[in-house]
Amino acid sequence: MSTSTYDARKAKALAMGGPEKLARRKAQGVLNARERVETLLDAGSFIESGLFGASPVDPDKSAADGKIAGFGKIDGRDCAVVANDFTVMGASSAGTNGRKISHMKRVATSRGLPMVFLGESSGARMPDHMGARGMATLLGNDGTQYIRLRETPWASATLGLSYGSSSWYSVLSDFNVVRKGAVLAVSSAQLASLAIKEKVDPEEMGGWQVHAEVTGFADAVAETDEEALALIRTFLSYLPSHHNERPPERPVPAGSGAGMADIAKLLPEKRTQVYDVRRIVRAIVDEGSFFEVKARFGKVLTTGLARLGGRTVGILANNPLFRGGAMDTDACEKGASFLVLCDSFNIPVILLVDTPGFSIGIEAERKRAPGKIMNFMQALQLCTVPKLSVILRKTYGQAYLNMGGGRNSDEVAAWPSAEVSFMDPTFAVKIVHGLEPGQPGFDEAFAEMSRDSEPWDAAAVFAVQSIIQPHETRDYLIRMLDVHRARLSGGIGQHLMRGWPTSF
Amino acid sequence: MAAIQVKADVAGSVWQITTKVGQKIEAGETIMIIESMKMEIPVIAEQDGTIDKFMVDEKTAISEGQVLAVLTR
Repeated sequence: MSTSTYDARKAKALAMGGPEKLARRKAQGVLNARERVETLLDAGSFIESGLFGASPVDPDKSAADGKIAGFGKIDGRDCAVVANDFTVMGASSAGTNGRKISHMKRVATSRGLPMVFLGESSGARMPDHMGARGMATLLGNDGTQYIRLRETPWASATLGLSYGSSSWYSVLSDFNVVRKGAVLAVSSAQLASLAIKEKVDPEEMGGWQVHAEVTGFADAVAETDEEALALIRTFLSYLPSHHNERPPERPVPAGSGAGMADIAKLLPEKRTQVYDVRRIVRAIVDEGSFFEVKARFGKVLTTGLARLGGRTVGILANNPLFRGGAMDTDACEKGASFLVLCDSFNIPVILLVDTPGFSIGIEAERKRAPGKIMNFMQALQLCTVPKLSVILRKTYGQAYLNMGGGRNSDEVAAWPSAEVSFMDPTFAVKIVHGLEPGQPGFDEAFAEMSRDSEPWDAAAVFAVQSIIQPHETRDYLIRMLDVHRARLSGGIGQHLMRGWPTSF
Repeated sequence: MAAIQVKADVAGSVWQITTKVGQKIEAGETIMIIESMKMEIPVIAEQDGTIDKFMVDEKTAISEGQVLAVLTR
């Protein structure tokens, strides 16, 4: 074979779906698949696998068979990447590109590399998949295709119309960012319209807002492709390359802890007033390190990665700004899913507690609240990474346990403002004595129900191990994280939830 | 002028209406305060606008998703 043949074939493969389709994308301000790979990875680090792959049905029009695969570095660490090239047959899934994805996943798992999926696909290739022969040839030949045992982190970006396996890999991932204008769904709006005989709006069916606020499939939302890819880099910066490694450490940025002197001012004086716990989180963790996940879903519970003293931690914090911090079923799913992430990748968990309890009522029961509360609880109890909890204000009933109360944390600390009881004393007075505020006897009954609920009472029976001043919280947590390092296993947890679902 | 419905994201009762009809407000500002779960929960404007009308009074019991106010922008 001549060099010119090689060059010609390579140029054709790199040309993707051709100049016209690429120009149309550029005009829309959307990156093409190869630009996405370059933007994601450290400059010059990409080594491709399967450049000359093609469809046996139409080899001339199927550059790289529509899915670009290979290895590259993010912040100097190797990862495996699959990027859908929508300009080639809509990046539809078929035989050759299916083998490319399997190879990437196999190498990532066996060599301990994070896996990144850049999703934009029309779904299964037609008519290749039609009929029993198509089905038998193209589907179901890999009995491990959709197993997630969380050996290595998976991150995904939904960057366009994303149907079929492109959506499956996004929801199987530990982190998925949806770019505004993209759609993540089982199948296209057109097919959905045919099936249910009514017009289906793609954005309403699977747009960013649906996944950020309703399904929780969007861990983050981005305005542009570039922002989405940067978010994947940031997410992976908190994680180890695989489950038998500790997360990477970073130098502590200047200014970290500077907000601690005034942190108490972030808590309102009145126990009935709300505040945004994210301001407290940002003051405690290393400067600029708080990376919130699922910010618009289950907002009563804030979850995010951060660093404390240079080490990655996972933060679960009740956020009274929303519904007073009362946890609903979305919050339970969000909490459980975040705990699975932390435990699978050796990330210690910090719980900041201020909740009046779980949301109750008819709607909550119909949304299967008992099951969701227990999934969340079981996730916490199955965690083998260090767990530290700090009670900022109130913690009642079962929520006390779900947020690390008792022996559900390795250490429980409380601020002097903490209040620990079975329920709000006002509710307790109503239930036990039938009295409302202002009625004769209410004050005496309230005093009785409020008895023993101060942090000193919890500390006296060792339900709380330390009472700390708010300004001491950062130093306390850094010190306790060091005390509770998993020395016997070199910082590696048991990963008992490695096979848990990726959505609940 | 586009009308924006401000809805309750929690059941409870209206404790205090802290704004007035005709008042211009910015995203992030508190429109009224709801009492729920024995907490004072602010209803926060998600976008800039002018208060056109209130659909509830102080002390009104409200359910989740109920329209509390209408803004125009």
